[in-house]
Amino acid sequence: MSNNTKKLAHKDDIRQPSLVKPPIAAVLSLILPGLGQALARAMRRGLLLLLTIASIGGLLLWRFKLTAPRDEGWVNIIKKGWHLDPFLIAVTVLFALLYIWIAVDAYAIAKDRTRTPIGVFFVLIAVFFALGWQIGQIDIVTLITQADEAGPPLGRVAWPWEKAIAYEQSILAASADIRVPCTGNELAPNEIAGSEPVLIATPTCGTLSTQDGEAGTILHLEGHNFAPGEDTAIKWKDPIGNIFRQRQEGEYVVVIPDAEGYFETDIIMPYRLLPPSATDPFYVWVIFGEQTADVGAAHLSDDFKLVVEKMIETIFIGMMATFFGVILAVPVSFFAARNLMSASPITLAVYYLVRGVLNIIRSIEPIIWAIIAVIVVGLGPFAGILALVFHSIAALGKLYSEAIESIDPGPIEAIQATGATWLQTVVYAVVPQIVPPFVSFTIYRWDINVRMSTIIGLVGGGGIGFLLVQYIRILDYRSAGMAVWFIAITVAILDYVSAEIRARFV
Amino acid sequence: MLEIRNLTKIYDDGTVALKNVSFTVNDGEFLVVIGLSGSGKSTLLRCINRLIDPTEGEIIWNGVDMAQLQGEELRKNRRQIGMIFQHFNLVRRSTVLTNVLAGRLGYTPQRNSLLGRFSENDKQKAWTALRRLGIEDQAHKLARELSGGQQQRVGVARALMQEPLMILADEPVASLDPVLAHSILQYLEALNQEDGMTVLCSLHYLDLVQQYSTRVIGLRDGEIVYHGSRADIRAMTDEEFKDIYGEEAVRVSAGLEGNLNDNAEGAA
Ligand SMILES: Nc1ncnc2c1ncn2[C@@H]1O[C@H](COP(=O)(O)OP(=O)(O)OP(=O)(O)O)[C@@H](O)[C@H]1O
Ligand SMILES: [Mg+2]
Repeated sequence: MSNNTKKLAHKDDIRQPSLVKPPIAAVLSLILPGLGQALARAMRRGLLLLLTIASIGGLLLWRFKLTAPRDEGWVNIIKKGWHLDPFLIAVTVLFALLYIWIAVDAYAIAKDRTRTPIGVFFVLIAVFFALGWQIGQIDIVTLITQADEAGPPLGRVAWPWEKAIAYEQSILAASADIRVPCTGNELAPNEIAGSEPVLIATPTCGTLSTQDGEAGTILHLEGHNFAPGEDTAIKWKDPIGNIFRQRQEGEYVVVIPDAEGYFETDIIMPYRLLPPSATDPFYVWVIFGEQTADVGAAHLSDDFKLVVEKMIETIFIGMMATFFGVILAVPVSFFAARNLMSASPITLAVYYLVRGVLNIIRSIEPIIWAIIAVIVVGLGPFAGILALVFHSIAALGKLYSEAIESIDPGPIEAIQATGATWLQTVVYAVVPQIVPPFVSFTIYRWDINVRMSTIIGLVGGGGIGFLLVQYIRILDYRSAGMAVWFIAITVAILDYVSAEIRARFV
Repeated sequence: MLEIRNLTKIYDDGTVALKNVSFTVNDGEFLVVIGLSGSGKSTLLRCINRLIDPTEGEIIWNGVDMAQLQGEELRKNRRQIGMIFQHFNLVRRSTVLTNVLAGRLGYTPQRNSLLGRFSENDKQKAWTALRRLGIEDQAHKLARELSGGQQQRVGVARALMQEPLMILADEPVASLDPVLAHSILQYLEALNQEDGMTVLCSLHYLDLVQQYSTRVIGLRDGEIVYHGSRADIRAMTDEEFKDIYGEEAVRVSAGLEGNLNDNAEGAA
């Protein structure tokens, strides 16, 4: 009872009446946000509001300057900012609303000291949210309109397996020489001989299309003895040996031979810029029809094999990193265990030193360590291993030392009491207590290291991550997709296995 | 026979846990140590088998001063004294069987024991002990999977493996409910009466003390303030009890219907 009244009295102490009248508090807060609240004896609230509105104002001016970097004078900058990014108008309006609301808040606070209005904080959160939206350049429209275009490449990533299989290819081709330009002394057309494929062009000379759109000679092509029903590409080999496919109306020309292996088609000679040579009266161009057919058994593609190889490399990067990490972390962990090191001030100092270093190493992300390691030893798996070893020592050192710290002294005492030797006591009372957590942490770390080595690969630490960025750079989404699939499958399996093993040990 | 002479223990931080304590335990006794929390019961028991090094005094165990022993000699004498703990002190991640066999470590050549090899004879002994305590079917479970009462029985079995002449029991039933408390104390009583082992046990509850002890000593602030025979303790009055336990003590009834744990806090 007496306690209760004391509490109330105490409450009244804080809630003394305002020093100023409500309207004055409001006006003061308009002049300097928070001043009204402060004079209404809500000092901390006033200070908080002042600091927030100052920081929001600062952020807002920074965004304006960033949006209109070339303008001079704040008025111009703000006008230009509104013009270039209409969203800034919304933020400005909210800011003004907050400014006014602080005055309203001051009025309410000064008027009734027993109530604490919270409306101003909602406005405050709204302003921060709007600012965050602007700073984050959040753009839902782009997300929606461009999602469509991302469809095909994403589709290839999602189901890349066409690329996993390749066939031995055989090429069936026949060609005809074409002289450019016609000189009056023309080549004889090809003739059908036996069952070999033949391409007959008429005429056997002509002129190329020109850059300003004047069409070149139309060649009539007849093909004999091609593989029936198979797509046949029409290609050119120019006098300097470049091969390119014939395009007509924006599409590659493809003809399909009939059941006898015969086809015919008309070709407009293409445009090509060639260095003129005064000595030669003409160039010989070669036109040919080409069929490629998959023969022989399907086999795994080179890309697929590469992805598998790199996946294995990744797993081993994780394994080696874990291996060295464990070997180095075990001794370190004894120095980082408080219960072992609290005997003397010197050992305690070592403890703090080791703990400090471990914490610093651990707080630096492995990807940063990888960048450092790449600088030291160059691109490749070794850099990845080094980076992960570093991080593993720090992470495992901490976990191991905590396992050592949490050893229950009871069993040690009990085993000693049976007349056991020191070594027997360690083996029967200490080892059973630390081995399971050590094993568990180690497996967990291996799991983490394999995941991380894919990330570390992105910055050159070898393994599948490295391959993945390369595929993405050359826009080979199918191969990239295979890499992503393998990473996902491996991580899932590892996750499961490590959870299973750990469940058995802990 | 165990003879404690002028035993004093001062911890590193200056706490005087035992002051000049002297008493004798004859073979075959069930001696109970009572006393308030912090009165030095655990310190006393742990000094006897040298889990704690006493500061001064003699602990004459069958003619040998335990306080002076080191290394091999200490271990040889330790294995004659089994110990049971309030919190069981089992290796929780090891199996029940391993925990029980660990009681045999003092008799096992170090090389064999490090490889987990125990003689057939020892294994036979372990099974006998488990059977005697009725936990034969739990042998291959992990110690932590057992209930409190079962764990304490493993603790007793481990002590039995030492084939001890004496058993030190530091509040062996303080973590157990009344039914289990009686069952564990009955095992100790059997070891005392059937196997002739000396038992030195600290207990908190007058009822248990009255039922099982053959003699009682009371500790307060590290000094012996009470000596009583079985008859004395059965006739003990609240005043005498308060003398040992201090003013705040109440006479608790650790009957089957009572809640031992709640009472433990009351007594403390
Ligand atoms: N390792 C230690 N270092 C310093 N002081 C200790 C240590 N162990 C016990 N003490 C102190 O010695 C005194 C006796 O403690 P002890 O554990 O022997 O009491 P107890 O009678 O067993 O109490 P409880 O019934 O709570 O187990 C207490 O004041 C305790 O705080
Ligand atoms: Mg104690």
